[in-house]
Amino acid sequence: SPAVSEAEGAVKVEEWQQTFYAPDSGIQSGATTIRDEDESECCKKYSLSASAGESATDIEAQYSLTRAQRVRAAMFPETLVEGEMVLTAQSNPDQPTNVQRLAEPSQLLKTAIVHLINYQDDAELATRAVPELTKLLADEDQVVVNKAALIVNQLTRKEASRRVLMQSPQMVSAVVRAMQNTGDLETARCAASVLHSLSHQREGLLAIFKSGGIPALVRMLGSPMESVMFYAITTLHNLLLHQEGAKMAVRLADGLQRMVPLLKKTNPKFLAITTDCLQLLSYGNQESKLIILANGGPEGLVFIMRNYNYEKLLWTTSRVLKVLSVCPSNKPAIVDAGGMQALGQHLSGSSQRLTQNCLWTLRNLSDAATKQEGLDGLLQILVSQLGSDDVNMLTCATGILSNLTCNNARNKALVTQSGGVEALIHAVLRAGEKEDVAEPAVCALRHLTSRHPDAELAQNAVRLHYGISAITKLLGQPHYWPVVKATVGLIRNLALCPVNQAPLRESGTIPRLVNLLLKAHQETQRHGSGAQQTYQDGVRMEEIVEGCTGALHILARDPINRGEIASMQTIPLFVQLLYSYVENIKRVSAGVLCELALDKQCAEMIDAEGASAPLMELLHSPNEGIATYAAAVLFRISEDKSSDYRKRVSVELTHSLFKHDPAAWEMVNIFIQESHRTLAHSQINLDAVYPPYGYSDLPMDGLPLDAELHEQYMPEMTYDPRQQVSLHTLPRPPIQSL
Amino acid sequence: MNREEAPGKSPEEMYIQQKVRVLLMLKKMGSNLTPNEEAFLRNYAGVVHSQMSQLPQHPIDQGAEDVVMAFSRSETEDRRQ
Repeated sequence: SPAVSEAEGAVKVEEWQQTFYAPDSGIQSGATTIRDEDESECCKKYSLSASAGESATDIEAQYSLTRAQRVRAAMFPETLVEGEMVLTAQSNPDQPTNVQRLAEPSQLLKTAIVHLINYQDDAELATRAVPELTKLLADEDQVVVNKAALIVNQLTRKEASRRVLMQSPQMVSAVVRAMQNTGDLETARCAASVLHSLSHQREGLLAIFKSGGIPALVRMLGSPMESVMFYAITTLHNLLLHQEGAKMAVRLADGLQRMVPLLKKTNPKFLAITTDCLQLLSYGNQESKLIILANGGPEGLVFIMRNYNYEKLLWTTSRVLKVLSVCPSNKPAIVDAGGMQALGQHLSGSSQRLTQNCLWTLRNLSDAATKQEGLDGLLQILVSQLGSDDVNMLTCATGILSNLTCNNARNKALVTQSGGVEALIHAVLRAGEKEDVAEPAVCALRHLTSRHPDAELAQNAVRLHYGISAITKLLGQPHYWPVVKATVGLIRNLALCPVNQAPLRESGTIPRLVNLLLKAHQETQRHGSGAQQTYQDGVRMEEIVEGCTGALHILARDPINRGEIASMQTIPLFVQLLYSYVENIKRVSAGVLCELALDKQCAEMIDAEGASAPLMELLHSPNEGIATYAAAVLFRISEDKSSDYRKRVSVELTHSLFKHDPAAWEMVNIFIQESHRTLAHSQINLDAVYPPYGYSDLPMDGLPLDAELHEQYMPEMTYDPRQQVSLHTLPRPPIQSL
Repeated sequence: MNREEAPGKSPEEMYIQQKVRVLLMLKKMGSNLTPNEEAFLRNYAGVVHSQMSQLPQHPIDQGAEDVVMAFSRSETEDRRQ
C-alpha cells in the first residue's frame, strides 16, 4: 500500500497506539513512549543544577564551557584547548577490558548525546554522532554493541534525533544487522525497539524497508523473548500498512509461515496485530491464502473466535476468515474446523461490524456447510435476523438459510419449526426488487416445502401466513430470471398440498405460468436447440420451460385448474415439448399431459395434436417417470380405440419397463405370474375383471354372484368383495382336484 | 413378440401386466387415476394395490433437487475503521 502522508501516519499511529497499548496490556511499555518535554525543561537548567554522578568540580568545569565545547570535549577530546576537560584512556599494565576501555568514552558520549537531545535544533552534532554509533553497532565486542544499541534506543525518544537516525541508511542497516546477528537478547530487544520507533514515520519505514529490515524482523518473530516478538510484529504491521512493497517483501521472507504459528499465543492484543497482518497479506492474494491454509491457519483462527472476547481481536480475526472464505481450498477447512459454529457465536453481540463480518463469512462458507451438524443455534438466530431492516443482514441471513436448508432434512425441519416460513415470507415482502434478498429467500422456501417430513407443514404455513399472493407477484415484470426460476419451483411444491390449489388459482398463478412458459419457449426456439443454449441473468430459458411446465403439472392435479390450463391452448405446446432434447422437459410435459388426459375431451385433443408418435418413442425411455407418463397418456388416449391399437401400445412397452426398481415390483410380478397360472387368457375383454387369487380368508357367502357363474363356481377361488363389475363368462382350464 | 420371462404369455396378458405396473407407478408418483383405472387396479392388483399405498413416495417425481448458491465468487473489501 502507498505510504501515507506523514501527518495521517502520525495520527493513525497515535490512535492505534492508544488502542493497542492500554496501560493494562502487560506488554513491556516504554518502548513506545516518547519522553515528555519536562525532562528537557529540566535539562535546560542543567547549568544550574547537578546531574547525578558528577562531582562539584566537574560541574564547575563544565559550566565554564559552552555547550558546543562540551560536546566536542566528549566526542573529540583531541581537539580540546587548554583549560578544557581532558579525558584520556588510561594506560595500565594490565590491558583494560573492553568494558573499561569503553566505559568512559561511551559515558561521555552518552552525556554528549543527552545534550544533543536537549538541543533539538542542533542536528549537526547528532549527525556526527551517528557514524560513530554506526561503527560501534558493528563492533565485534557484544558489550560494545549492546551499549551502542542502548544509546541509539535513547536517541529514538526525541523527534529530532529520531529523524536524524532514520535519515541515515547506514545507521538503520547497522541496527538491523545488530538485531539479526546478536546473541544477546537485550541487544535484540533494544534494536527491535529502535526499529519499532522508526516505523511510526514514513521515512523510517522506508529506511527499514531499504535496509533489509523485513527479513530480519520476520526472523525475530521466532524470538524466545516476547517483547522482541511484539516489537517485530508491530513494526511489520506498520510496514504492511504504510510501506509500498512491504507485503511482497514479507511474503518473500516467508512471513506467513512465521506468523500463522503465532496464532497460538495468548495475548489478545498481540493476536489482534498478528491477525491484521494476515489479513493485509492475504487479501486478494491466492498464494498467501494457500500458505495460511498449509500452516493450520483455519484451525488457529477458528480457535480464536471460539475462545476470546476482545472485540478488536474478534473483528480482525473475522476479517481474515472472510478473506479466506472465498478461497475454494480454505472453505472446507474452515468449515471442518468448526468455523460455522464459531462464527455463529458472534451474531447477537453489540458490535455491529463484528456481526456483519461474521455474516458475510458465513454466507461465503454456507455452500460448503450443508452437511455440518450442531448448527441449530445458528439457524435460529438467522431466522430471527430475517426481521431486520438492514439489507446487508437480510442478504446474508437469507443466503445462509437457503444453502443450509439445501438437501438437509434436519435443518429444513428445524427452520420450519422455528417459524422460518413466516419469517421468510416477510423477508420476501420486504425485499422488493432486491434480488440478493428475494432469490435466496424464495429458494429457502422452496427447500422447506419439499423432501423432508415437515414439508407439508411448510406448504400449509405459506398459505396460512398469506404468502401465496406475495409469491405469485414475483412472477410479474420486470423478470429477474433467477427469482422467477426459484418462484416457479416453490409454486410447484406449494401445489403438492391440495388445500393450496384453489388459493394458487385465485391469485392468478396459472396465466402467469403459461405466459412465462410461452415466453421462455419462444426464446429457446429463436436461438435453436442443442448446444446453443439461451441464458438470461445466468438462467437458461430451458430451465424456465421445465420449471413452469413442472408447476403446471402439479397444479393440473386439481380438476378446476386442469380445465383452466387446458383452456389456455397449452396442449399443442405440451405436445411439442415432448420433442425437447432436455430429459426433464420431456418428463414434465408428459406428466402434465398425463393429468390433462384424465379428462376425455382433453385426451381427444391430445390425440388430435399427434401426441401418439412422440409418446410411443418415450415408452422406450430409460427414465421410468417418462415411460410411465407416456404409457398412461397412451392408455387414456386408446380407451376408445381398437384392440389392434392397444396391442401395438403394449408391444411398444418394453419388458425392461421399471427394471430399475426390482424390489418394489417383485410383488407385482409374483402376483401376476400366480394369476396367470390359474386363469385362461385366450380372448380377453380388457374391461373385464377376474377374481384375484389368494383371498382364502374372505367369507364365501353373502357375496353378489352372477347366476350364470354359479354353476362354474370353483370352490378354491374367492372373490374380492370390493368388486363392482360382474364376471365375464370365460372358458376355464380343467380344475385340479383338491 | 413374447418379451416376458414366463413362457406362453399372450399379448393381452402382457398388456394387463404392463398396465397394472404403469398405474401403480402413477399412483406412487402422486398422480390421479380415472375411475376405470382405479377399478382396474382394484381388480388386478388387489392386495398389491393396498400395499402400494403404504410405500413411500417414489423419488422419481419429487421435483427438482435442491441446489446450493455459490456466494463466494469475489472478495469485498470493507472500509477500515
